[in-house]
Parts: sequence; C-alpha cells; structure tokens
Amino acid sequence: MTTHRLSAYLAPRRRLRLASLLTAPVLWLGLVYVVALAALLVTAFWTVNELTGQVQIEWTTENVVEVLTEALYRTVTLRTLGIALLVTVVDIIVAVPVAFFMAKVASARLRHLLVIAVLAPLWASYLVKVYAWRALLSSDGLIEWAVSPFGGSTPGYGIVGIVLTLSYLWLPYVIMPIYAGFDRVPDRLLEASADLGAKGWRTLVSVVLPTIWPAIIAGSIFAFSLSLGDYITTRIVGGSTQMIGTLVYTNVGAANNLPLAAAISLIPIGIILVYLAAVRRTGALRSL
Amino acid sequence: MESAIRLRGLHKSFGDTIAVADLDLDIEPGEFFSMLGPSGSGKTTVLRIIAGFEQPTRGTVSLFGTDVTSLPPFTRPVNTVFQDYALFPHLSVIANVEYGLRVAGVGRKERRAQAEEALGAVRLAGLEDRRPHELSGGQRQRVALARAIVLRPQALLLDEPLGALDLKLREQMQVELKELQRSLGITFVFVTHDQDEALTLSDRVAVFDAGEVVQLGTPREVYDHPRNRFIASFVGSSTLLEPDVAAALGLARTPMAVRPERVTLAESGPGVPGTIAEVIYTGPEHRIVVDLDGLDARITALEPNIGAHHRRERGDRVMVTIEPAAAAPLEPEAA
Repeated sequence: MTTHRLSAYLAPRRRLRLASLLTAPVLWLGLVYVVALAALLVTAFWTVNELTGQVQIEWTTENVVEVLTEALYRTVTLRTLGIALLVTVVDIIVAVPVAFFMAKVASARLRHLLVIAVLAPLWASYLVKVYAWRALLSSDGLIEWAVSPFGGSTPGYGIVGIVLTLSYLWLPYVIMPIYAGFDRVPDRLLEASADLGAKGWRTLVSVVLPTIWPAIIAGSIFAFSLSLGDYITTRIVGGSTQMIGTLVYTNVGAANNLPLAAAISLIPIGIILVYLAAVRRTGALRSL
Repeated sequence: MESAIRLRGLHKSFGDTIAVADLDLDIEPGEFFSMLGPSGSGKTTVLRIIAGFEQPTRGTVSLFGTDVTSLPPFTRPVNTVFQDYALFPHLSVIANVEYGLRVAGVGRKERRAQAEEALGAVRLAGLEDRRPHELSGGQRQRVALARAIVLRPQALLLDEPLGALDLKLREQMQVELKELQRSLGITFVFVTHDQDEALTLSDRVAVFDAGEVVQLGTPREVYDHPRNRFIASFVGSSTLLEPDVAAALGLARTPMAVRPERVTLAESGPGVPGTIAEVIYTGPEHRIVVDLDGLDARITALEPNIGAHHRRERGDRVMVTIEPAAAAPLEPEAA
C-alpha cells in the first residue's frame, strides 16, 4: 500500500523523480571525476618544499613553463605522439579488413565466434598480456625463434616493441566500432552502387569508406588516447624508451615532484582535447 | 523483334527452398511488365537475377539478345529502383543522381546537366542539396527513380517501389510512373504484391506463386479469366462456385470464379433465389452477401452506392443471376 502511495505521489512530479534517480550518480561523477581532474590542474601550479618534500600551496607557473620550454619534454611528447599515431594506424589497418569480414562475409555463426574471439582478450589482465609480449619479444622468445632461420631477429625492447604491444592491446577497441560501422552499411547500398556501374574498389572508396569513416575515427579515439597515456607497457617492453606516462611516473615516484608530474600530464590532456575537437566535425563522437 | 529480357530455364534454390522453378519468360521492349505475387513467390528473386545481384542455380538471362547470365551487375544495361530506395546517405540528392555518371567518367558540367534533367523528370527540382534523411518518403522515391533513369538504361527494374508510401501518394506515383515509362519508352519491370497496382499500370502481368508463373497476360485477361483458384482469389476478389452451384446458376457444371461486380441481384424475375445475409457499406458501393436457397453456398455481389433511398437490407429476398460470359472456368487443382 505504501509503495502504491509513493508511486502515486511521484507520478506527476517529474523533476522529483529525476532528482531522486540522478543525485547519487551525479555526485559520484562530480567527486570522483571532475574534482580529481580539477585537483590535477590546480596541483600543476603548486610547488614542492625542497627540504621536506611536501607539496606546498604556493602558486607558481614554474612547472608549466618548464614543461613547455625544456627540450626533454618536447622530445618525449613528439615521441609519444608518434607512437600513439603509429599504433592507431596499425590498428586501423588490421581492424578494417577483420571488421569487414565479420560484418559482411562471415556466416552468422562464425560472426558470433569472431566477436567472442575479439572480446575475449579483454577479460585477461592487462599486465599478463604485456608480460606475454615481453616474453615473445625477448632474445630467446618466440619471435626470435620464428624469424632467425630467415636471418631476422626480434625487435627486442624499444619503440617497435611498444608499438606492437600497444597495437595488440587496443585492437579490440578499434575492431568493435568499425565492425558496428560495417554492420550498419546496408547490403542494398553496395548493390545500388554496383547497379549504377561501380566496380568493387569504386564502391569501397565512394560508398563504404565514407559511410564507415565515423566508425574508424571512433576506433582511433580509443587507440590514440589509450596509447598517449600508457606507461606500464613502456616500462615492460620499452627498454629505456621514455614516454609521457613514464615521465609522470618518475616524477610521482622517484623524483617526488607531484606538481611537475601534474604539469606533464596536462600535455596528453591538451593533445586529446585538440584531437577530440578535430574529430567532432566528422560525427564520430555519435558513433562511439 | 528481339526480347528486351529473355529468361530461359531459370532456376534458383536457396538450400532446400526453391525460389524460382524453371522459368521461361520474355519481356518485350517498351513494355510495362509487372511481376505480381505474394511474398515469397519468387518475383523479387527473378528481378534480382535480372539485375545481377543473384546468380541463378541454372538457366540463362539475356538482355536485348546478349547472354548476361555470368556478367556482374555493373556491366548490365539495366538499372534498379530499390524497395527501400538505397540512397547513399552521405551524398546530397544531386550527388546521388550523379553517382552513376561520375562512375562512368562523365564530365562535371555534363553530369550536372543530365542530373538536373532527371530530377526535373521526376518533379524534384530545387532539392538538389538536401541529404536523403531530410526528404519525405515520396521524395526519396523520386530521387531513387532519377538516379536510375539518368543512366538511360534499356530497362528499369522496380522492386516494390511504392510499397512504403501511403495510399494517396501511391496513387499519384502510379500515374507518374506510367507517364514516365511512356515518355522514356523503355521497358519497366515492376515487382509488386499489390494487385491493384499491377492491374492499373501494366501492359502485361505475370502472376507468381511458389516460384512459378501461374498466369501471364494483359490485366484484363488475368482479372476476367483467372486460371485457377489462387489467381481468382489473389487478384481481386471473387466468389468461387462449386460445379453444382455453377450448374444451378445456369453455367457449365465445372468450378467457376465470378467477380462480385458481375453478379446481378433483382427483386423478381429469373435466377436463383436467396436471402441477403450481410450488407457491407464501403462508400462507393455496397458489398452484399447472399445465401443461396438450398445450395449451401454464398455469393457476393457489388452494387454501386446510388443513394440512401435505394438500398437492400439484411434478410431481403433476392434473385441472383450471372451472365455466362461473366464467369471464368477454373482449371482443376493439381492434387
């Protein structure tokens, strides 16, 4: 009876219903996400007491200026950017044909199996997967064993190792939106294109790619932004390679300079904002 | 004269289901040809085989004397208007219409001029820069038509093109399609499940059932002389008369189909007596169901609506007559 009375009370009060539904999650999101991000921004303008190593609320632009002017940060930023772009391109090159096969060629049964196969690695621990690659890339690993008879050798730990490992890690995130994109291209459109005289490649360029372009961009957002912030992979398979993530890690840990770490972490945030602003025009954000 | 489209021994099966069963068909140049049938009767499959989207299991397709059975769609001199229009969503109206010309390498100016002309022919000038999602169903339909006719195909294939439109628009588009076909002078192959549409538009109609053409003829032949029960009930409505009933009405003692508008009711005079079981008012006419005395049979008659003062009531006694020429003898059913 009381639940009945409660729903009778709430039924005409739309705002109250919405408020009771959303208050808790909005507070949570506000605290955990927005406040943490704001704290990061603010911390970048604080200093560290050189004697005690404690963070002091003493306003300075020193950290940000250092990050923007030091050659080290420019080099590492460019390297990180290059690696992230390379990972994105590799993932797209691998994902497009796989997604096409899943959406347009495979039987319904095979398609389900492939979706499971693509998603299954996401259940495995990130760390285990990266260590698996460390083993693969090592000088007595599987890659060395496979290519040495042909005179090749493993790329070892370094930029190539990072690109390979990150491409592997983020591939599911790129395949899935592109697969969904292909799935949304009606077969009728391909037939219409053929009917109007276009051969296969022409249909691909003029009909398929423009239609799935937003999906490709959506996939690239994942590969690009996840690569940009990564530091674990870099430390495990990157040898001595420094990326933005490892710099942040060093400053938080060994150097105990939280404000500088915060200032460095503004770099990938800035890059991602520019990237998102650029892809917003393509309509990709709607296909996420 | 060479047939526009000639199908010989055309057979298509999907696994165990036979979609098209050993079909022979000749469609003439300049003809408005309809393929009429319920869904799953194989008519759309035949259209898709002509267009080249499906390969027949066996048999041949010839277009204007050339065997095209193994040719891909993009080399065939026919174009298709799809049921759901299949407009390219990322292209504007004019770019959709220009698509085929662009693929064929026609220059920009020439392309634009031809596309504008095609849009004019389907009365869609002024919407060149819209995207398909900004158009109404009827407008999309016209873009799909323009996109197909701009390539001046020797035959236009239309797959239930009016199926998604509401009744008013459909009737208007029927008239325009007919006019378009006349002015272009090319073959139209029109797939529909709407018997009204097929009868109104076509020079000839092929009635499909279970992958076969069960009757082929002019609309008048198909409507006035349905060959069997399926056609009599699928194309328009008919009363099927058992041999005894047909004989009692003065017709041959054989299964017959009679159209309700050819059944005459009178208060007195010759004929078979009966009692009116139901009077249904449909606006332009009354549909009257009569129980025939002592025959355990019902017959439906249509009478025009000529005013409220002249009408029949349930329970009225009437005499039923049918002119011998108005009834169509049916072929015995294959058991």
